[in-house]
Amino acid sequence: MVSLFRSLFAPPRHLILPLAALWVGLALAEKRTGRHGISKETLNNLVYYSILGYILGGRVLYALSHFSAFAQSPLSLFSPNPDLFDPFAALMSSLLVGFVYGQRQKLSLWPALDALTPFFATLAIGLSLTHLAGGTAFGSPTNSTWGVDLWGATRHPSQIYELIASLLILGLIWFRKTDSPSGVSFLTFAALTAAARLFLEAFRGDSTLIFGGLRLAQVIAWITLLATLALLESGFQREKS
Amino acid sequence: MQQNQRRIIYSIILLLGLAWTFASADQSGTSTSGKIPAPQQGFLAPDFNLKTPAGESIKLSDLRGQAVLVNLWATWCPPCRAEMQTIEKIYTEYKDQGLMVLAVNMTYQDDPFAVLPFVTEQGLSFPILLDETGEMADDYQLRSLPSSFFVDRNGIINKVVIGGPMAEALLRTRVEEILE
Repeated sequence: MVSLFRSLFAPPRHLILPLAALWVGLALAEKRTGRHGISKETLNNLVYYSILGYILGGRVLYALSHFSAFAQSPLSLFSPNPDLFDPFAALMSSLLVGFVYGQRQKLSLWPALDALTPFFATLAIGLSLTHLAGGTAFGSPTNSTWGVDLWGATRHPSQIYELIASLLILGLIWFRKTDSPSGVSFLTFAALTAAARLFLEAFRGDSTLIFGGLRLAQVIAWITLLATLALLESGFQREKS
Repeated sequence: MQQNQRRIIYSIILLLGLAWTFASADQSGTSTSGKIPAPQQGFLAPDFNLKTPAGESIKLSDLRGQAVLVNLWATWCPPCRAEMQTIEKIYTEYKDQGLMVLAVNMTYQDDPFAVLPFVTEQGLSFPILLDETGEMADDYQLRSLPSSFFVDRNGIINKVVIGGPMAEALLRTRVEEILE
């Protein structure tokens, strides 16, 4: 079944998966906008402008960081090739555009993030499916009976671990109590995602290592977990007082 | 849940997370380490020994020390045809710095008699190799044409680009990375 899925969505067709997740995620988020005092139209605009910021920012900043290459062929700026893209710059650009749009619409930060939480959780599922289809974010070699043959070794099916974790997180977010203080939904999602990454990164075969063989993603996930738990606690304290 | 209970649980979670981070540290380096051959970024490029239409053999591992662009293509594939001129331009520009282009024709699924006329028509000066059995395509897990593998001077795949045609700026940036 996994091989069928990988054949069906082999790169570059795998790019359809995050797009599908985006669409499903937005539909799910729309269903719950009322709870957070945000209209469907505002939520849609927030997402669309952020996506626009993601696409334009990712391409323009990539071009700026490879200026000499683009100066020799400026039309490459308009190439449909998705490899001419800086994902980190795209993410920063999309956050900036979303923030500016939110400010202009006078959206409160935490209710807006709560409203977007099902969208983020669905995107995480789309991302793990994209990893599964492309064979990226692959696992470390293992002797486990559930190991999969990938890239010349029997490996932990890290993409499947990631998929299961993101499905569980969406389920927990979707079916949780609705009377919690503002921001708790998003922070719970962020804490669960950080905890899942912290745990599952240990089974990855492509980790970026820092001093002493520590995995960079685990260090970032631990710091994120610390920050989200601290924010969660301060949210509960605010609600109490 | 009471505030104290919550704080204890949060502290336990954070301590367990910290312990897990140290316990799962990878002392042996990344598992790929560029030693295992696989058609994926960070791995050793799978070796092949193929013939040109003139019968000359070229082995990938003999090119160690040079940056190599391995491009899988077919004459019936429009994006493959469309990117050949750009590849030729980049090859001409960077070959003196140590760039080699190996354009492997998927002969087992192409018309063998269409290869040479296409190469002549396009004026391609880099080596064209023929994969007559599909073995190389299997080793590189070919799923889409064109597929390009940017191999650095140590034989490690630096980047993989599936689909095309590749824009000139993309080729230039990828080639400059493997020439470093």
